[in-house]
Amino acid sequence: MKRKIVIAASVAAVAALSLTACSGGSEPSGDATGPVTITVSGWSLDTTPEFQLLADGFHKSNPNITVKLKEYDPSNYNTLVTADLAAGTGPDVITQKEVKYVTTFQEGGQLLDLSDVKLPDGISGTDSYKVDGKLYAVPYRQDAWVLFYNKDLFDKAGVPTPDGSWTWDDYAAAAKELKTKLAAAGSKAYGAYQHTWQSTVQGFANNQSPDGGVLGGKYDYMKPYYERVLDLQKSGAQVTFNTATANQLTYQGEFGKQHAAMMMMGTWYVATLISQQASGDADQFTWGMAPAPQYDASTAGTDKTPVTFGDPTAFGVNANTDGAKQAAAKKFVEYAASEDAAKALAGIGITPALLNDNVVETYFATKGAPQDDLSKFAFSTHTVKPENPTSSKTAAIQNILNDMHSAIMSGSESIDKAISEAQDRVKNEVG
Amino acid sequence: MTATATMVTGAPRPSKPNTRMRLRVRNALIGWSFILPNFLGFALLTLVPVIALFYISFTNWNVFGVAHWTGLENFRRLLGDATFKTAFVNTLYYAVMHIPLTLVVSLGIALLLNTKLRGVAFFRTAAFFPYITSIVAIAMVWNLMFSPDYGPINQILRFIGIADPPGWLTSPQWAMPAVVIISTWRDMGYYMILFLAGLQTVPRELYEAARMDGANAWQRFVNVTIPCLRPTTFFVTVMLTINSFKIFDLILVMTKGGPGISTMVLSQFIWRKGFEENQFGYASAASVVLFLLCIVVTILQFLWNKRGSRA
Repeated sequence: MKRKIVIAASVAAVAALSLTACSGGSEPSGDATGPVTITVSGWSLDTTPEFQLLADGFHKSNPNITVKLKEYDPSNYNTLVTADLAAGTGPDVITQKEVKYVTTFQEGGQLLDLSDVKLPDGISGTDSYKVDGKLYAVPYRQDAWVLFYNKDLFDKAGVPTPDGSWTWDDYAAAAKELKTKLAAAGSKAYGAYQHTWQSTVQGFANNQSPDGGVLGGKYDYMKPYYERVLDLQKSGAQVTFNTATANQLTYQGEFGKQHAAMMMMGTWYVATLISQQASGDADQFTWGMAPAPQYDASTAGTDKTPVTFGDPTAFGVNANTDGAKQAAAKKFVEYAASEDAAKALAGIGITPALLNDNVVETYFATKGAPQDDLSKFAFSTHTVKPENPTSSKTAAIQNILNDMHSAIMSGSESIDKAISEAQDRVKNEVG
Repeated sequence: MTATATMVTGAPRPSKPNTRMRLRVRNALIGWSFILPNFLGFALLTLVPVIALFYISFTNWNVFGVAHWTGLENFRRLLGDATFKTAFVNTLYYAVMHIPLTLVVSLGIALLLNTKLRGVAFFRTAAFFPYITSIVAIAMVWNLMFSPDYGPINQILRFIGIADPPGWLTSPQWAMPAVVIISTWRDMGYYMILFLAGLQTVPRELYEAARMDGANAWQRFVNVTIPCLRPTTFFVTVMLTINSFKIFDLILVMTKGGPGISTMVLSQFIWRKGFEENQFGYASAASVVLFLLCIVVTILQFLWNKRGSRA
């Protein structure tokens, strides 16, 4: 009888004690002269080698600083990092995976002011991380959207390959011509593949239209872009949005397996395509990059600077670090933006934020990279505008625009109705 | 061999109130020690966050830093939010379609499989299998099945003469019915098990008596099975209702609330506001509304059941 009470009480005591063991608490930072270890957050470490590459390169030039990578699930990266930061166990270097979340971290006081970090000249993407004139993260990578095209399929159809001076009407005409001529030549490939993301239409509309802009609240400028896409779907030149969603098509598969002759995609795809062609996951064929189709002739041509969009990826420093750890973290961030790091990244097919001639040369020296001048031009010469403007309203507005995108592309709403609904929603929900 | 007379002691008869109190306390402590591990988990992981949720819904917290009290502002904002109203209506629409359909299907399967034939265990397992299948696998396969141009479902519909089959997950009118179908297919096995257990408790004598009185199968079902199944049906309905209001993972994986926001439900609205847009105060207010919806409907069901059992 008494024993049962004792057992019950001890069970309760053990349970209570084990709870107190789950206490947070920061470890004291290493002392200034000794070895320091900093943590850097990353994702999909086994398929995203850039983090380990930067960690190793930095350690070589700073032997007393070790960089430990903290892996997070890529589809929930921001939520998981937020949870860790709120609990006080966040990484010392916070990788900014999406520009949409920078203001969340910055307004929450999680990012250190990095305005005093020395940056090389010509580095792009810093504007995305400036709030009130202060820099809160340093970009190491800047992807841009370009036109990938399959030379072999173009030759098979007898259609001239892009020459760098295309506008969207040229692109649409080429896609339709490709589909007809490829069918005549016995191929089932489509003229183009358009992935289901909202950015494939809106990224261009927002950044190429004279009155475009996500934060503006008015989206009529998207109408001509959507009309063109719906027309391409109707003409059969590309697979419909509904089919792509229902069959869960992957852009790597559609272009890599030659189901389409053209595809708009970010420059991150170069590394994937090269490695998939080497491993056999993608077919062996000749491909190249061309500048994205332009709004009109004023920016189209290899003698001009085409306009495209893309978001950078950056490293921020945890504002709750101090002393030796903070200094080490700042050094790492500075290294990641440097030319050495940029050349290392270019060597594995990543598009660094610093794109000078040395870096571009290293990038195209990779085995499997296209060697033609147009590809090099498309990669290195462009104005990249941000896909996501840096504002606390961006995430909410982009969600509304994504609903609009699926409504238009699935054919469930007319373009005008969907745009006016999106405008009302932005006004009511975001203000 | 000497028989040892053992003194048989009966249950201790407390002669004073003291002993009775001690007995009650002892029983209570034993009871608590049994449920304490589970209750601790529940308290820490569910009860405490829910209480915190009620507090956060009156603030404008964004995860980092202190929550600032804003009173009823979040709820006022919900009232004027057209997307919230759409999500609320979609949730009710889903529940109204899903609950009766699942009830009928799971009861039907339970009746069919309530036999002692050999191999019935295989069929019971097969009916239960969808419930334990990965939701991502379900989404992939059903997406392909419901594909408007190439999917087998529309191919069959065209074959039997329907020239213009619905767009299913790509059409705003048919997306929710498609989700309801998949959801019923997934849940029927679970509720079938509950009904099977309930059917075992129906006394066989009642069936024999009914048969002797000349009742046919349908009359036996209506007059013997359904009344005896009342507690099970009540339990299944309550669980089904609450789970229908809270539906989240299936819709998120299959349609992400689309096309447009035609399949956005309350849970997804909450998740989006909280985790994608970091407005935890606002998302908490929406969660409170969902909580109230579930509890009001459940209370109504309990009252209905009490009234019915009195009759």
